[in-house]
Amino acid sequence: MTLQVLIMRLQKFWAEQGCYLAQPYDLEVGAGTMTPDTFFRVLDRRPWRVAYVQPSRRPADGRYGDNPHRVQKHYQYQVILKPSPDDTQQMYIRSLTSLGIRLEDHDLRFDEDNWESPTIGSWGVGWQVMLDGLEITQFTYFQQAGGIDLVSVPVEITYGLERLEMFLEEKGDIYDLRWSDEVSYRDLRLREEKEFSAYNFEQAGVKGLQQMFNLYEREAAALIKKGLLLPAYDLCLKCSHVFNLLDSRGAISVTERVKIISEIRALVVEVARKYAAEGASS
Amino acid sequence: MSEFLLEILTEELPASHVRAGLEQLKATLSVELSAAGLSEGQDIRVMGTCRRLIVLAEIVPRQRDRREKVIGPPKAAAYKPDGTPTPAGLGFAKSRGIDISQVEVYATERGEYIGFTKSAPGKPAEEILPEILVRVISGLSFPKMMRWAENPFRFSRPIRNLLGLVDGRPLDFEVAGLRSSNFTFGHKIFHADCKIQPRSFEDYRSSLGEGLVVIEPNARREMIQAETQKLLEPLGAQLHPEPELLEKLTYDVEHPHAFLGSFHPDFLSLPLEVLSTALREGQHLFSVVKAGRQQPLFVGVADAPDDAKGLIRQGNERVLKARLKDADFFWQQDLKVPLAERAEGLERVVFQERLGSYEEKAQRLKKLAVYLCDKLDASNLKKEAILAAELCKADLLTDMVREFSSLQGRMGGLLAREQGLAAAAGRAIYEHYQPAGLEDASPASTLGAILSLADKIDSIVGALGLGIQATGSSDPFGLRRNAHGVCKVILDKKIDFSLGRFLDKALEAYGPKLERPAAEVKAATLEFFAGRLRYIFEKGGFRYDLVSAALGPGLDNIHHFSLRLNALNGLRSSPQFEPFILMAKRVNNILRDQPAGRVNHALLAEKEEQELWSVFGIVKENATPMMAKGDYSQAQKMVFRLQPALNTFFDKVLVMAEEKRIRQNRLALLQAISRLLSRIADYSQVVVEGEKAQ
Repeated sequence: MTLQVLIMRLQKFWAEQGCYLAQPYDLEVGAGTMTPDTFFRVLDRRPWRVAYVQPSRRPADGRYGDNPHRVQKHYQYQVILKPSPDDTQQMYIRSLTSLGIRLEDHDLRFDEDNWESPTIGSWGVGWQVMLDGLEITQFTYFQQAGGIDLVSVPVEITYGLERLEMFLEEKGDIYDLRWSDEVSYRDLRLREEKEFSAYNFEQAGVKGLQQMFNLYEREAAALIKKGLLLPAYDLCLKCSHVFNLLDSRGAISVTERVKIISEIRALVVEVARKYAAEGASS
Repeated sequence: MSEFLLEILTEELPASHVRAGLEQLKATLSVELSAAGLSEGQDIRVMGTCRRLIVLAEIVPRQRDRREKVIGPPKAAAYKPDGTPTPAGLGFAKSRGIDISQVEVYATERGEYIGFTKSAPGKPAEEILPEILVRVISGLSFPKMMRWAENPFRFSRPIRNLLGLVDGRPLDFEVAGLRSSNFTFGHKIFHADCKIQPRSFEDYRSSLGEGLVVIEPNARREMIQAETQKLLEPLGAQLHPEPELLEKLTYDVEHPHAFLGSFHPDFLSLPLEVLSTALREGQHLFSVVKAGRQQPLFVGVADAPDDAKGLIRQGNERVLKARLKDADFFWQQDLKVPLAERAEGLERVVFQERLGSYEEKAQRLKKLAVYLCDKLDASNLKKEAILAAELCKADLLTDMVREFSSLQGRMGGLLAREQGLAAAAGRAIYEHYQPAGLEDASPASTLGAILSLADKIDSIVGALGLGIQATGSSDPFGLRRNAHGVCKVILDKKIDFSLGRFLDKALEAYGPKLERPAAEVKAATLEFFAGRLRYIFEKGGFRYDLVSAALGPGLDNIHHFSLRLNALNGLRSSPQFEPFILMAKRVNNILRDQPAGRVNHALLAEKEEQELWSVFGIVKENATPMMAKGDYSQAQKMVFRLQPALNTFFDKVLVMAEEKRIRQNRLALLQAISRLLSRIADYSQVVVEGEKAQ
């Protein structure tokens, strides 16, 4: 099965579970959790089901295309079900069998792994799902988002698409994966990994990035005051990505890291608080 | 008797939560069942897997009938002085459906009240249990708790089914919005849709067994061990012992299957520590050794009946290959940079925000390690001590430790060896995080022990110097772990030195960095250690009062504290012990609030006090070198010899004599004795049988 068939099958499966199929968000994010289709939609009590592919950028994970597992950009398949249904786990297991995996021949394990993203004031309780020793999914019951305790608890299922595809194709090297019958992962991504690794670790202009960070941060704060919460949140995401770049350039000391993360969180928490307050009064 | 069975079916619980949940279920249910009159002390069995908490108990099918007193208004309000009932008295009787003639008078703490004794027939267990179960299950607490769906209920992980049976009959209760049932399910992959309706525990156990669930942890552990042995015996190989991993895997599966896999022998160029960590932390796999050498093999434990097609093994091998490639890459990269060069980066690594960098820590460790070399007859190791202190944190900057933080210290030691550093220094670096807790081994080498003490004391003093404390379950700076490590090293190595002076040295090394005054930090540190020692020894089975008594002379020398405690403990059942304790208490009582004085030999008028003074002189002369040597048993036995002379003294001599000079001299004599005794123990803390009875 190729990566694109894998994606299509997941789309079909989750659409049948009542998920709206969103398109990837057009900003750099570290995880699908950070896009508005998850971040804003989990804050209130209204039922919500969504599924989408989201490219995830983690500049410091770049390995110049040399590592068979680590890349600075990979693809997640993100599912949110709110409130979490009683048969969440069976639903997830069915999604794997819908991919043609005969689970009776394998070892599927839910291994304790509690997720936390201090930058967006969010945490949850859950597992990393291991299939024959390979981590294929992060499975989390959100408890808090944007610093807000969630009354209606969403479950988040995040498949690592490349990992799952490595399992399906029985490959040990990410670049050997087939995206379609005609195109390999190597064709599509190797040059990107090499060039972005060089950019992330060596060439990204530290001074310019610092200026950008300050600019985005001020703009976000100003927009929050004007009640333009979605654009303000976009700017927080930009701050977060610029911060990750600065970090991979080694331009952030440990003390600064703590300070910057708490600055971004303060903005995000403010966005979430106002958003939730509007929802409560409308 | 009836059989009570409870199963809480959940999504996957962490192993530590299963154990915590089962312990609490056993403890609270045994209290609740006997309070409700449903248990007469029968054993409660608990067992479970990552998906189920299970309780099995023998209970009384029906409570005994109970008599309870119903209290009404005060007697004075219920009856007129002439004994005829008032409207209040009549009203009470009427409201309870009895005649006033059945009312009795009860004397209570608040005075006389009227009332009557009602006999309540015992209820059947099925009627009482639901309420108890709701309370007990809702009251379970876990290290980290969560909510799910729209439910305010909190538990370790979502509860998916509740089964409660008495003699096979279902109980009716509701927890977390979930109604109890008379069925459960088998293994989530292999028997997910197969509903099991057990009629008894035996039926439950065997049906689940068929459903690929082994409910007893011990049975699963034995399966893992037996299967592993079957795999390895023909090869003449064994598992590299990893008790924590075995424990985790025992709980992580419902049906264990051990399988043997292999990796490319080229990876054997990696040290055993690195390989076994990559196997364990990445994929929960055991390493395999033969005659002390690692083999290119591993043992994994799957949650499955078998691996007939070998797919589980192949999948794990594929993932492992990528992991080992990573580890090998890190090892090669890390080897290229000499540790000394690596250590230059430590100034950029924060130890603690307000305490500065690891570079500063390394400088302090140098001073402390050199000080300890002098104190512990290891002056010949000073050069290596300085080197080890400078380099011991350098491995924090290696890729390997970033990936596998549990390798910190050991990684530095391995690199030191590969890079040809002095062996004693490399060994010390390797060992300096040991012991990681009370169960872990202390460093084997002297320098390892020295560096371990220096590192831990520096961390403790630093944290307490900023006012960071360990409270309840929160200990962000690992203060308790570090203090346990310090105590364990001192006790294991019988290190005979002054903790107080070592703390002075540690405080001095920090200088103005600490935010609290040095004297305050020192006092807080000693107090903290007193608490930890108490914890360690009481956990080790020593009596609370004996620990207090041995702490009396102080804990400046922790090794001597332990010797004192062991001496007291060893002599506690000797015939001299109890009379001597009573005598020592008598001495202390007389001396309470008396000003200190000196003995004037010329004023010892009576024969008995002269005798006491002379016996005391001999006892003191003999006991003092024994105490210095740490032989507190002999010293204690020597001090017992004061007993006859003291007895006669108290019988024949009036301590509180009329004449002030004589009185003060006799008190001074007792003070001298008390001072000697107080170097062995604070006997006033010891509880003796005679006292308890009073």
